Order: sequence, then C-alpha cells, then structure tokens
Amino acid sequence: MNFQYDHLVPLVVVLPLVGAGLTVVAGRHTLVQRLVSGTILASVVAISFVLLYAADQHRTLTVRVGGWPVDQGIVLVVDRLAALMLVVSTVVTFAVMLYSSGRGLSSDDEDEHDGGAPLPIFHPTLLVLSAGVSTTFVSGDLFHLYVGFEMLLFASFVLLTLGGTKERVRAGTNYVIVNLLSSIVFVTAIALVYAATGTVNLARLAVRIPELPESTQLVLQSMLLVGFLIKAAVFPMSAWLPDSYPTAPAPVTAVFAGLLTKVGVYSIIRMQTLLFPGDRLDNLLMVLAFLTMVVGILGAVAQADIKRLLSYTLVSHIGYMLFGVAVGNVAGLSAAIYYVVHHITIQTTLFLVTGLVELKRGTTSLTKLGGLAQTAPLISLLFFVPAMNLSGIPPLSGFIGKVGLLQAGAERGTPLAYLLIAGSVITSLLTLYAMSRVWSRAFWREPVEPLPGAQRSKLTLGVVLPTVMLVLFGLGLTAFGGPLYQITDRAAATLQERTGYMTAVIGQEGAP
Amino acid sequence: MLALLLVHATAYVCAPLLVRYLGRHAFWLLALPSAGTAVWALANAPGDEPLTRSISWIPSIQLDITLHMDQLSWIMTLIISIIGALVLAFCAGYFHDDEPDLERFAAHLTAFAGVMLGLVWSDNLLLLYMFWELTTVLSYLLVGHHNDREESRQAASQALVVTTFGGLAMLAGMVLLGLEAGTYSLAAILANPPEPSAVVGWAIVLILVGAVSKSALVPFHFWLPGAMAAPTPVSAYLHAAAMVKAGVYLVARFSPGFGDRPEWLVTVLVLGCATMLIGGYRALRQHDLKLLLAYGTVSQLGFLIILFGTSTQAAGLAGLTMLVSHAIFKAALFLTVGAVDHAAGTRDLRYLHGLGRRMPWLMVASTLAGASMAGVPPLLGFVGKEAAYASLLHGEQWWSPIVLTVAVTGSILTFAYTARFLYGTWGPGTETTEPTPLHANPVVLTAVPVTLGAASLLLAPISQYGEPLVQDWLHTLPPIDHAVHLGLWHGFNVVLLLSAVTLLAGYLLFHGRTAIEMWQRAVPHPAPAVVIYRAIMQGLDRISLEVTGLLFKGSLQQSLSLILLVFVAFPGTALLLALIDVSGRDTVGLRWYENPAQLGVAVLTAIAAVAAVTSLRRFRAVFLVGFTGYALALLFLLHGAPDLALTQVLVETVSLVVFVLVLRRFSGHFPDKLETKERVWRITLGVLAGAVVTGTAIIASLSRTAAPDSTNMPRSAVEFGGGYNIVNVILVDIRAWDTMGEISVVLVAATGVASLIYLQSTNMRRLRGNLAEERRSRRQTRIDPGTTDDVGWLPALNTLPPTRRSLMLEVVARLLFHPIMLWSLYLLLTGHNAPGGGFAGGLVAGLGLTIRYLAGGPAELRAAMPVMPGVLLGSGLFLSAGAGLASMLAGGDVLQSWTFDIPVPLIGDVHLVTSTFFDIGVYLVVVGLMLDILRSLGSALDYRINAASGRQIEGDYEPMGERR
Repeated sequence: MNFQYDHLVPLVVVLPLVGAGLTVVAGRHTLVQRLVSGTILASVVAISFVLLYAADQHRTLTVRVGGWPVDQGIVLVVDRLAALMLVVSTVVTFAVMLYSSGRGLSSDDEDEHDGGAPLPIFHPTLLVLSAGVSTTFVSGDLFHLYVGFEMLLFASFVLLTLGGTKERVRAGTNYVIVNLLSSIVFVTAIALVYAATGTVNLARLAVRIPELPESTQLVLQSMLLVGFLIKAAVFPMSAWLPDSYPTAPAPVTAVFAGLLTKVGVYSIIRMQTLLFPGDRLDNLLMVLAFLTMVVGILGAVAQADIKRLLSYTLVSHIGYMLFGVAVGNVAGLSAAIYYVVHHITIQTTLFLVTGLVELKRGTTSLTKLGGLAQTAPLISLLFFVPAMNLSGIPPLSGFIGKVGLLQAGAERGTPLAYLLIAGSVITSLLTLYAMSRVWSRAFWREPVEPLPGAQRSKLTLGVVLPTVMLVLFGLGLTAFGGPLYQITDRAAATLQERTGYMTAVIGQEGAP
Repeated sequence: MLALLLVHATAYVCAPLLVRYLGRHAFWLLALPSAGTAVWALANAPGDEPLTRSISWIPSIQLDITLHMDQLSWIMTLIISIIGALVLAFCAGYFHDDEPDLERFAAHLTAFAGVMLGLVWSDNLLLLYMFWELTTVLSYLLVGHHNDREESRQAASQALVVTTFGGLAMLAGMVLLGLEAGTYSLAAILANPPEPSAVVGWAIVLILVGAVSKSALVPFHFWLPGAMAAPTPVSAYLHAAAMVKAGVYLVARFSPGFGDRPEWLVTVLVLGCATMLIGGYRALRQHDLKLLLAYGTVSQLGFLIILFGTSTQAAGLAGLTMLVSHAIFKAALFLTVGAVDHAAGTRDLRYLHGLGRRMPWLMVASTLAGASMAGVPPLLGFVGKEAAYASLLHGEQWWSPIVLTVAVTGSILTFAYTARFLYGTWGPGTETTEPTPLHANPVVLTAVPVTLGAASLLLAPISQYGEPLVQDWLHTLPPIDHAVHLGLWHGFNVVLLLSAVTLLAGYLLFHGRTAIEMWQRAVPHPAPAVVIYRAIMQGLDRISLEVTGLLFKGSLQQSLSLILLVFVAFPGTALLLALIDVSGRDTVGLRWYENPAQLGVAVLTAIAAVAAVTSLRRFRAVFLVGFTGYALALLFLLHGAPDLALTQVLVETVSLVVFVLVLRRFSGHFPDKLETKERVWRITLGVLAGAVVTGTAIIASLSRTAAPDSTNMPRSAVEFGGGYNIVNVILVDIRAWDTMGEISVVLVAATGVASLIYLQSTNMRRLRGNLAEERRSRRQTRIDPGTTDDVGWLPALNTLPPTRRSLMLEVVARLLFHPIMLWSLYLLLTGHNAPGGGFAGGLVAGLGLTIRYLAGGPAELRAAMPVMPGVLLGSGLFLSAGAGLASMLAGGDVLQSWTFDIPVPLIGDVHLVTSTFFDIGVYLVVVGLMLDILRSLGSALDYRINAASGRQIEGDYEPMGERR
C-alpha cells in the first residue's frame, strides 16, 4: 500500500475510540489509563499537525470509508478548515488530559480519580469526546455529523455530572434536554434534506441544494441553522450554557468551553459556505451576532464568580465568530476561523487557570478571593496573559482576530456591518472591564486565607505544566500569527469557492 | 531601533531578578536602556529621510512591524528616553528595598519605556495601536501598584476603562481609515490622504476620540487626577511626561494630512480649549500637590492639542517647544513632590511648612521648573508660550482670535496655580506653624529635579538652534504669512504685551487665591464628568444584572421556550414563504399514504402521543410513549422493513424495562400542577412547533428532484458488502463508521449511568468483589460439584425475600435463558443475510439477562454474567474500532470488509464476512450496556429502595458517603 496522507484521516477518530475501549477495560489501573490516553492523544495531535500540513500544502484529503462509492458510503474530508480545527481541538484536549492526570496524581483523596471524578471514567469519556469532536470536523456527511454531535453530547453529559452532586445533576438535566432538543431539530432537518435531495453527502448536497426551489432552500437552511445555533449557544438560545458549564469540575468546563460550542460554529461555517452559498440569511446572522456579543458580555459583567463569568464571555465571543461568518466575505471567514482557533485555546486556558485558583484557594468566587498576585505570582501570570488575550489586547491573538473581523466588517460596509463593528468594540471593552474586575478583586487586594477544600500542598508540575503549555500555545498564535493567518486566508478562500471541496469528493463531474 | 526595543524587552524580563538581588539599586541598571536610547537618538538626528526598518508579521491583516523615526518621533524619543532614564534613576532613591511588589513595578516601568518608544516609532497604524494599548495596560498595572487600597484599584480600573474606550474607538477609526486609504502605513496615508467622505470623517473623529481620551481631554479628563494614586515616579513619567503625550503625538502626527478637515478642527479646538480652561480652573483649588499638578497637566495637554490641532508651521513649532518644555518642567515638579513626600511624609500644601531653607536645591530646581511652566522669562516655557501666542495671533482663520483668548486665559490660570504650587510647597503652611519634620533624602532625589530644572533654564537661550532639527517635519504643515521663530527676545510687540498681561493677571489671581478658593467651593462643580462616568458604570452594572436576570434565568422552561419560539418564528416564516411559493405549483407529487393501514397507524400514534403528554401518571405516560414506539415498528413493517421493525421493537422493549426500573424510585404522579396560562402557552408552542415540522416535511418531499442514494444500495449490498440484509450491511459496512460512533455513545451512556448511580469507587469495588467471589465459587463448583447447595430452578435464588419470588418466573427464566442467548448469537451471526445483526442480537441477550434478574434479583444477575459491564463495553468498542484499524493495516480503507467462503467439514461452506468482527463488537457493547443498566438501575436501586423501607438485602451497592 502506498502511503498517502489520506490514510491518516480515520485515525483521529479510530485511535481515541480504541483508547476508550482499552481504558474502560483498564478501569482499575489508573496508570494504564493515563498511558493509553496520553499516548493516543499525543499521537492524534501529531497526526493532526501532519494533516494540516498535507491539507494546506497538498490537497483536500478524502477517505471513502470501507471503500464504498461516494453516493452510498460515508466520506471523510479534511480540508484546511477541518485540519486546523483538528489541530487546535486535539491540542486542547491533550492539555486537559494532562492537567486532569496531574490533578489526579496530586490529589489528597485516594478515591478521587483523574479529572476529579469519583469513578475511573474520565479518560474513556474524554477520549470519546475527542473522537466525537474530530468526527464532526472530518465528516463529509450530514448524518455522520449528527453522529459526531451525539458522541460529544453524551460524553459531555457524563463529564458534566461527574460525582452526581445535586447541582451537577440539575445542570446536567437542563443541559441534556436542551441539547437533545437541538439534536431533534438537527435530525429532523437531516430527514428533510434527504427527502428533498436524496442524499446526505455534503459535497453532493452542495450540487443538489442549489437546484431546489429558492423557498425550499430557505426552509432547509433555517432548520439546519437553528440546530447549529443552539449548539453554538447563540442568543436567544444561549441561556443553557452559562447555566450548566460552571458546575462541572474545572478541567471539564475547560474542554467544554474550548470545544463544544465551536463544533456548532464550525458546522455553521461549513453549512453556510458549502451548502447555502450567497448571502441569503446574512443580515439575520449579523443581528444575532450583535445580540450574542452584547447580551453575553453584559452577563459576564454581572457575575461574581470566575467560572460563571468566563462562561458568559464564552457565549459573548461566539458572537465574534458569527460576525465573521455573517459578513460573508473571505476576510470575514478567515477572521472567524482565526478567532475560533484563538478562542478555543484561550477560553480553555482560562478555565484551567481558574482550576488552579480553585485548587489553591478552594473557591472561585470573587468575593472570597484576594491578593493572589502576591501569594500566587505564577498563577497570576498564567491568568493575566490569557485574560488580556481574551480582551483583545495587542499583540495577543484576540487582537489579531478582532482586527481581522473589524476589517471584514468595514469591507462589507453596510449599516448592519457598522453596527457589528460598534458591537464588537463595545464587547471588547466590556470584556476587558470584566477581566479587570476579576484581576482587581481576586488578584489584587489584601491576601485572604484559603477556604477549606483548598489543597494545602503546593501546586504540582502535573497541573501547572499543561497550563503553561496552553498559555504558550496561545502566545504561539501571535508569534506565528503571520503563517497561521495565511492558512486561514487560504482556508476561507477554498470555502468561498466551494469547488475544491466538491471535486475532491466527487471528482470533476460534480463541479458546476 | 528594533534592537533598542529588544533591549528594553530583555530589561523587562530581567527586571524582577535584578530587583530580587540588588533591591532598589536595580533601577540604576534598568535606567541604562533608556539612557542608551537617548545617546543613540542624539547621535542619529534624522534629516529629511526618516529612519525606517520593516519586518513582515501578519500580512493578512496588514500588520507589519515598520519602525520609522522622523523628526517628530525623534523629539518624542528624546523626551521618552531622557526623562525615562532620569525617572528610573530617581526610583533607585525613592523606593525602599522592602517595598512590596517592587519586582513587578520595576519590570512594568522599564517595559513602559520601551513600549512608549515603539509607539512613537510605529509607522503601521495597527502596530501603533498595539503599543498604544500596551501603554494602557502598563499604566493600569502601575496605577494599581498599591493594590491593597480601594482607591488605587478604582483609579486603575477607571483609567483602564476610559483609555481603552478611546483606544477601541481609535482602532475602529484606524480600520476604516486603512480601508479607505488602502494602506495602514502612516507615512503613505499622510502623503496621500483619502478623499473626504462620510467614512473618512467618522474615521478621523474616532481616531481623535482615542487621542483625546489618552491625553485626558474633556470629557475624559477625570481619569488623570485619579491616576495620581500611582507612585510619584509613575505620575511623573507616564502621567505627565510621556504616556499622556501619546494623544498629543497622535494629533501632531495626523495634522499634516487631516488638519484642514472640519470634523478635525471642531473636535480638536473645542475640546482643547475647554480642557485648557477647566484644567487650569480646577488646579486652583487643590491642596494635594500631585492633584494640583495633575489638573495643571490636563490644562497643558489641552493647550498642546490646540497648538498641534491648528496645524500650521508656526503652531507646530510652538507645539514642539511646549511639548519639550512641558515634559521637562512637569517631570521636575512631580519628582520634586516625590522628594518632598519622601522626606516629609505628606504632600498636602496646607501642612508643609518651612521646607525651603532645609531643601534649598530642591526649591531652586522646582522654582525654575515652575517658572518655566508659568511662562516666565528667561525659561524654556516662556519661549514656547511666546511662539504659541505669535502663531495664534497671526493665524488666518476666523477662530484664531478666540483660540488666542483661550490660550491667554489658560496661561493666566497656569501662572496662578504654579505660584500657588511653589508658595504652597516652600512657603508657610496654612494649617501648621511648626516646621514639617523631615528625614534625609538620598542625593538622587534632589539631583534629578535639579538636572531638569537646570535644563528648563539652559535650553531657553539655545532654543533657536533647535529649529533646523525639526524643520523638515514642520514643512509638512501649511505655512502662515508671518514667520515665527524661537527666542527669548523678539522686540516690543503684541506677543510681549500678551505675555506681560499673562504674568500680571496671573499674579493677581494668585494674590486673591483665598477668595477664589472660597468662591470655587461655594459654586457647584461645573464639570461633573466623573459623576457621569460613575453613573454610566453603575448603570452598566444595573443593566447587566437586569438583562442577565431576565434572559439567563437558568430555568429550563425559559431555555426551551426561547428555542421553540425561534424554531416557530424562523423556520416557520421560511415555511410560510415556501407554502406560498408552492401553492401556485402542481402538488401531484404528494402522496399522503401508500397503504391505508399506514394512515390508521399514524392516527393511533398521534392519539397515543397526545395522551402521553396529557397523562398525569408516570407509568401511563411511559407506556403510551412505548406505544408510539411499537406503532413506529408497525410502520416499518408496513413499509417492508422487517429488520428495522425487529430492532425497533427490541429497543422499545428495553426502554420500557429501563423506565420501569427507574420509575420504582418515583411517585406515581407527575408532581407539578401547571397553571392554566402556562399550560396554554406550552400547548400553543408545542402545536406550532409540530405544525412547522409537518409543514416542512411536506415542502421537502415536494421538492425532491433527484433519485435518493439508497436506490443502488440493495444491489451493491450483495455485490460489494456480501450480504442480503441491506439494513445490516448498512449498519456494519456501508455506514459502519456511523455505527462505530454510535456504539461509543452507548459505551459513554453506560458509564454515565454507572457514574450517576454508583457515585463512588467504594461501590464499584464492592461490586467487583462480589463478582470475584461469584467466579471463585463457580470454579469451586466445577472442581467439586458435591459442595453446591444449588437446589432451586435458578442458581442464586436464596437471596430474594420469599414475598418477591415467583415460581412461574423462575421456571420461565430457567427454560428460556439459554435458548434466548443462543438465539441472540444466531441473530448476530446470520444478521448479514437475514433479519438480525449485532445490535438486535445484543438487545436480545440483554432481555435474556433481564429475565434472569427479574426472576432472581442481583445475585442471580451476578451468577448469569459474573463480569463487570465495563469489560464487555470496552472490549466491544475496542473490537469494532480495532476492526477499522485492522482493515487499514491489511491494506484496505478504514472499515473495509472482505468476504471469505471457508469450507467446514459436515456443514459445508461457511460464508464469512470480515465485517462480522465489527458486528461482534457491536454485540458486546450492547450486552454490556444492558448489563450495566440492570446492575445500576436494577440492583443498585433495589438496594436503595430496600434501605429506604428498612429491609436488608445483600447487594452490590453501599450508600455510605453518598455525595448529595
């Protein structure tokens, strides 16, 4: 068999699943779990980087699963966008896995397993989550996208309710019901799409959907969009997110914040560019983007707990990505993709650091924290850098993405685009304001005594190192901003022209 | 230039270490980068060709590192580096070694010097913005140095919010300008400014908002006095000499290209004039020397903005002179205050008494600097002021006289508050007659202000030789008829008269200071900007609370309502449009049913669904939902899909079992009685959502044009997949990739259930122990069959209380279990060609286990399957996913399958498809799930129920330490 880059594509899903199987069987042997989980996620990270290289420098990679023809089987597709998403998501997952293992290692409580779970189920669940996220990125098939959603939904539900405290079960119930509703909407939409076009293959849909009557296209688009918008936590369908995320253990919230909503954003990008080109719903999306940003950040300003506050900034900044998609030009798409990459990294990092604060102090409430800058200088530094990054302070990546979005908005030049520029600027200011409140209350002020529940021992390398790694990765987004942004530019251009994706999957005859 | 920035960056990184080892003396070393820059700048005065250095960074957003030093930047560079070096040296005497947070403070101050240089060297707009914001952040951190004090934190955050607000406005303006101009290079934009248009107009105003907020102009001026909470060297450097000049620099920078646009002039002149007057006025009543100076700075910044904003060569020259002299005298004055504060422990002028004689050098230095500020000859400030008067006097615009009047008035105020400052510091205190106690200051605290004071004096006579050094930049501005030059003496003219008027009126104001103070206290505050700011911030907090309270209630009802509303409103509207569109067309394509029986089943299903929703009893609701499931199976059957129907029936049955197991722990009725309003709302929403789904289904079916993908599947299932059961081929081959994902969902769901029920490792260990015991006793039985006391129908019967035993069930279980298991294996193995498959087989096996459990309880379940569910689940997923890997290793595509016919004696050819391995994995996972459900929702709940009712039962579950 001649080696082709395409052969690597299935591995990003298969390896984590094999690992999940192994780690479930090896439930009693934490060390084995860590080894398996670590090896597999590390290889997936490496594979993702190779895929990015191949997709960017060579061509769009495709795999026909089981060798079935395109019109029957499932096709996996990795273009630049998918590869980029894979890289960031796997890096983040890997870091969270290391962090959780480190936390398990240093735990005083022998009944506490990795990830703060009372049962040894963290590793398999995280691996399935990772497989699910990767599935959505590599899938070239609408129904398979749904399968990916289910994988990560159930994995996230299990992670959310670890330990089964009352609060977590309540949050988890709300979470799962809302997400099942979104799944129902999505699966209904898939049924409709199949009814109208007779296929669920994305590339073939890209050919067939434009042949449908305009009004039917609108129906299909709006149905799919609602499903994805719920996943992405776009206002007014965002209330479930800050309600559920903050209750989970910090590393879990970190991986959720990084990945889950972005899967929705990714799907929106894919759908808007590949299946429904043109600016049919752009104005609506712009309004939603504006409201998501502004309402979300107001929520952040109102919070007195770091985890909750960060959950609201998460919702708010989804608006930025939607902004880029809604503006619809190549500059906007490119900025949105860059912003997704940035935001996955940064939001995860911030939650991990918040986890460190929690380990050290036993709380994340702003009213009960203080003086961390003096007592925990390392944590302060680790918090400050990504916090400024999230606030879009230059030269950090949040700034780069933001400028890209502003430029795209200015290029579009419609009143709504200007409104979005204003909205994103205000959001940026309020993000900074919210972050400065955290800084001023938790890190400045007189030091206070740690609450019971804090780990007396010093923070171990096991938790600090992964956090540092992610902070550095975030800085790398700035340092290598030039090449990275060029990749997103090319990714956006290929999304916009569509034919590359279609010919890669169905060959020349599919191109219009 | 890049090297110099890197030196500063290195100093920033090393600063904490240096401070740790050298204490405050580290500042001497940290002053070196600035000093070096000063030397470099003095040696490299730019001519008409500015120094440029460019590195590409992020070309996609046109952000590159282009550094560029023309004469304007050069002047700024000198100010930043020289004052920077002096201030850092000053710090070495100012701080004590035990000052908390000194390491970070030193680092930030050093970094600031570098960042400020970057700001004035940037040619790229975005790069400039980058340094701009970095100064804001560093200012935030430096102002908050004493962060144990509430006022420090407040001031820091106020400065941050105000200047970032302006900064972000500026960023938006820059992006608009960059787009209109087609470039982000300042030099290119100024050489060829874009044509006036609405967008350019907005861009200019937005950029000016940035400048105005940074330079503390009205209405943003209030942050600067607040920022005096910072240590005095910070005030001297950031908030007098360097950072606040950034706005002035920006105005100066843009004036050659945009100085003639109306929106520019209106903004700059109105705000500049207002600021100059308000700042001076407010300075007249301050007692805190730093606050007095801060308001003075505000006033002077207004003046500078006016000068650069009028954009003429003459005013530009005056502006540069004032820029330099202000930096020198204001730094000197602040540092004097720092030295006085350091020695006396207070800086309230009412409590300072008799300092002059004991600190003569400082007094001389500050008097020189003060005189320069007040515009007294023969100091540099006087030179600047004369030039300013001259440039405005000879201005050719209709507004020139007005601005001149403001400048003179402002200068009068300046004289008055300067006099007040000097008299207040060195003269007698009003509240005390005792000489203020002092302790000795290090020499450097005196030496630095003296150096600066001397500079104010010495630079004045040689100022005219500086003119050629800035000539090239000035020539980018439009000239006025009257040439203005620097110098101490221009003869008797109107300007000199104005200067004299300034001094005289200023003195009078100073003379009447007590009356003025009284008067100022009596009249209400004229500029409540800070009040407005606070009101806005409070309003923001309140609105954010209200909005969040309204939209993020955290209630499930609200979340779902909003989602359904969007669903009804958005796809619903699309549906209406589509229906209108369709109504004109031929709708023959729509068939309501293919078989009347389908219609009947559909109606029944609908009735059951409605009944389920309206049911008040849980059991009834569950059974009605189950009914809809079975009805669906019937539809599949009617459609000719017995395989799907079989699977659906099995799934439905298992679901019912699970529901029933769980419902044991619930009361029979749903608890919440809904209000009518709420009920109507829910019904409306539900009906509408249902209508939308129905409508879209009709529309979608009507639109079909192409043949569905499934058309070719039956044929290729046989040819390519090697199986006649197309559903199974789809599951394990065509769409095996989906199945692999779904069984991982099953695995996760099973672990989730276990996680929620067992909660703790102790329970798992207990279960594991029981299972090991079971396996041991089995081995025992096999070795020595005589020891067993197995006399019942089932092996582990004796643990159930007699009341719960049912002979009937035991017999059935005994008779049926093994056939069921065999059948499940049969389904698994023949699934490829006949109805069945791993999924269905697994469910059947699970039902077999269910019977054993129902008949014999937890112990019986253990006897039936003495393994942990995780083992089955994990190995199943491993097998299925591993099959994918194996097929890749074998050289095929992932999850590719091969068909073999293996001749087996007696039976004949066995038809083996490799996808069977995949299917076995599916089978194992499903059995694992069933076992897991029975263990957790069955056995573990048994234990809880019995524990609740006081009965004891041997079980796998230990409720101790339950986390609730």
